[in-house]
Amino acid sequence: MFRAKFKEAVICFSNPRVTLPYPFGPGAELPEGFRGKITVDQTRCIACGGCANVCPSRLIRFYDEGERTRMEFILDRCTYCGRCAEVCPEQAITMTLEFENSTDHKEDLYIEQELYMATCARCGRCFETENAIDKIPVRRHREGRNFVGPSMPHGGPRPRQRE
Amino acid sequence: MHSTGYCQAVEKAGGIEVPRRARYIRTIVLELERIQSHLLWLGIAAHIIGFDTVLMQAWRIREPVMWLCEKITGNRKLYGINVVGGVRRDIPKAMHPELMEVLGRIERETKAVLDAVVTDTTLLARLANVGILPNKDASAYSLLGPTARGSGVAIDIRVDHPYAAYGEVETNVMVETSEDIWARTVVRIKETLDSIRIIRDCLAMMPGGPLQAKITEPIPPGRIGQSSVEAPRGETHHYVITGEDNRPYRWKARAPTFQNLQGVPIMVLGETIADVPIALGSIDPCFSCTERLETVDVRSGEVKVYTKADLFRLCKERWSKR
Ligand code: SF4
Ligand code: SF4
Repeated sequence: MFRAKFKEAVICFSNPRVTLPYPFGPGAELPEGFRGKITVDQTRCIACGGCANVCPSRLIRFYDEGERTRMEFILDRCTYCGRCAEVCPEQAITMTLEFENSTDHKEDLYIEQELYMATCARCGRCFETENAIDKIPVRRHREGRNFVGPSMPHGGPRPRQRE
Repeated sequence: MHSTGYCQAVEKAGGIEVPRRARYIRTIVLELERIQSHLLWLGIAAHIIGFDTVLMQAWRIREPVMWLCEKITGNRKLYGINVVGGVRRDIPKAMHPELMEVLGRIERETKAVLDAVVTDTTLLARLANVGILPNKDASAYSLLGPTARGSGVAIDIRVDHPYAAYGEVETNVMVETSEDIWARTVVRIKETLDSIRIIRDCLAMMPGGPLQAKITEPIPPGRIGQSSVEAPRGETHHYVITGEDNRPYRWKARAPTFQNLQGVPIMVLGETIADVPIALGSIDPCFSCTERLETVDVRSGEVKVYTKADLFRLCKERWSKR
């Protein structure tokens, strides 16, 4: 009994404090490849819809509005899985090291972008994935008012729509 | 661990062969998860009985595992390492020494804590001969995981139906026969140490090759896949029916807590009230996994939870209409 207590005391005293004074001091160092909040580089995005297609939370919404494509990222639902960044053919999406994402304004976690589209000169379909599972089911690129890689609106599930 | 279950079910449905290296990486991540889960449990169990020294020490030992997982997968929890057909990230050779170092450290420290507490009579007074779960009840109620193994039921999906790399790496089923909470504790600690050995073996035997299978054909709809994975708490089952567009048509996951919860009334029978929390805690419950059927009406936003009687009535109505 006392031997056990003594051993426990030795363990406690021989291991000093390991917690960090975060948030008053610096936190733990993040490793390379940490999956934090995503950023979208509008200049690179070709609005192919790949990210919207793979996002498990269905938070990337795509609207083809004639000559423009509007994209919404409703990041309060993000699970930080990083699939969007992985599948993006133009590396427009990157995972940052930003992990302090709690906020009391939902708008802080909302990205909207509008891209003016030219007729795609490359192909009928914007990009081909290597993996047949990631293949985008929607034929797309400036073909009428398609609703691409549909998603759930705020507040509740909605069945996935197709063109 | 659930993602492994789901991916394996889809892979079975689609007839996808996962490369060997990917299966080894899955095994390593699964075992890291088991180590951190068991250490977390050890801390919480100690906290329930008011022995916070062990809580602090167990969680201190656990923390490097979390950092390691973060380094390997990109997150402390919710690793997202699996995709259908393989894994997303490699464990390169350059990472092996660090992995080994951390594993060695956890092993040493877990053993030191274990060595200190096994003779601690205050701890044994709370755990030994408390919350008895007889062997016959454990099998009669189909209890799973460490809960069953602590009562002498030698079941472990890793050995009974090997998946990932478990068919190739030696895996031991840790069984204790004293049927009390201490037995469940010992099973978990032994498993933690065994997991460390499994990871070492995996690293030593790790084959080369691709991380993901080449999937050239979409997965045909209407196929059925089922897979079982040994989670830290017990076995988890995933059942998938594939649908159009490479999406699941139906998917059902069964987590072990609902099953294990059936054993708690037997454990607390005749015990004092103060032993109820630790008896419940000894199954490592996850209550979010035990919620039953709930429906949400999308249009009105109405939420309805169906009880057993409701479901029975609905079934009867449905079948009488036919
Ligand atoms: S996958 Fe990349 S290029 Fe395609 S729409 Fe998304 S961000 Fe843009
Ligand atoms: S990280 Fe995952 S959940 Fe978040 S936006 Fe990308 S795909 Fe969706």
